[in-house]
Amino acid sequence: MAKEILEMPVELTTMELPDTKTIRLKWPDGHNPDFKTGQFITLYWPDTPNYKRAYSLSSCCLDRGFYEVTVKRDGKMGTRLVDWAKVGDKLFVIPPVGKFLPVYEPQKHLVCIAGGSGVTPFRAYVREATRRKLETKITILYSVRQPKDIIFNSEFRELETQNPHFKFHVTCTRAKPEDNWTGRTGRVDAAWVREHVADLANTFFYACGPNPLVEFAEAVVFEFGAPKEQMKTEKWG
Amino acid sequence: MSNVPADLKYTKSHEWTRVTADVPGIATVGITDHAQHELTDIVFVELPEIGRRLKAGEACAVVESVKTASDIYCPLSGEIIEVNKSIVNDPALVNREPHSGGWFFKIKFSNAAELDSLLTPESYEAQIKG
Repeated sequence: MAKEILEMPVELTTMELPDTKTIRLKWPDGHNPDFKTGQFITLYWPDTPNYKRAYSLSSCCLDRGFYEVTVKRDGKMGTRLVDWAKVGDKLFVIPPVGKFLPVYEPQKHLVCIAGGSGVTPFRAYVREATRRKLETKITILYSVRQPKDIIFNSEFRELETQNPHFKFHVTCTRAKPEDNWTGRTGRVDAAWVREHVADLANTFFYACGPNPLVEFAEAVVFEFGAPKEQMKTEKWG
Repeated sequence: MSNVPADLKYTKSHEWTRVTADVPGIATVGITDHAQHELTDIVFVELPEIGRRLKAGEACAVVESVKTASDIYCPLSGEIIEVNKSIVNDPALVNREPHSGGWFFKIKFSNAAELDSLLTPESYEAQIKG
């Protein structure tokens, strides 16, 4: 069946942070698409059909009946979605595509390096792995400026308690004394990534976020000696 | 492999600047082939107003692709004298012709010495090769 562009109503919106919103788009009745966790959809408003933006799905393929994207107030589309999208609004959705897909194999370890809203596809990875009770190890290494910028903090902490194979680690690049942050500070660096790699041959690396972070992650991983096939990236541009 | 024309000067933030002998004092500005490639499909461009005075390094335009939104920084101090409305109507022109038809604006620059602090094609190429 050809994948068709569908108009979907906003079913739910959730402010994750003051500048970041999750938008749930309800599938039409009878719609039952085949898609993969980690793919992205492309959205546009009915009144601006030439103006499209792609967003990674923050929901996983086991979440049926809707797609969720988690959007930062960024640019014209990001601002409109965060500040104005409300329940009942309709958006056109180009179906999920993309190859930023988790390799769910029991002996594998997925090391997921994220910056800012680049963490959103990893929520989907962990959700699916947790619900399916998979033995695949998943470690998220997440870089934010301050603790208040952590997206899905409580959901990731909750998933950690449900899934013994999942670990969520955060580093703050600009933590202030008043943040009372007791976790790691500074940028993602090679030593921090290396710390989480026990068996390089069975580790898959994922990086999603601003280009400098993703390029840095790629360089680090190749320096480790991992082949290209063990690294997947999603750049924002 | 990105195209880095030899007749342009560049910024670290991926803008190019063209000054030609037949129109001295006026620079044409756009974003580089590397930048448009990294941004992917450009869907929206916001340009500065004609007459706006800018300092070098000041954010003055916005470009948005299907993946992200980015500020465009003015390479030189001066006054905006012309903008390219074609890219507002057809943002993909920036992808197709980043160094020609996809130019952003023209600026009457006030300090020619700032041209010397821009990157040469060789330096810019080295930067994008990392």
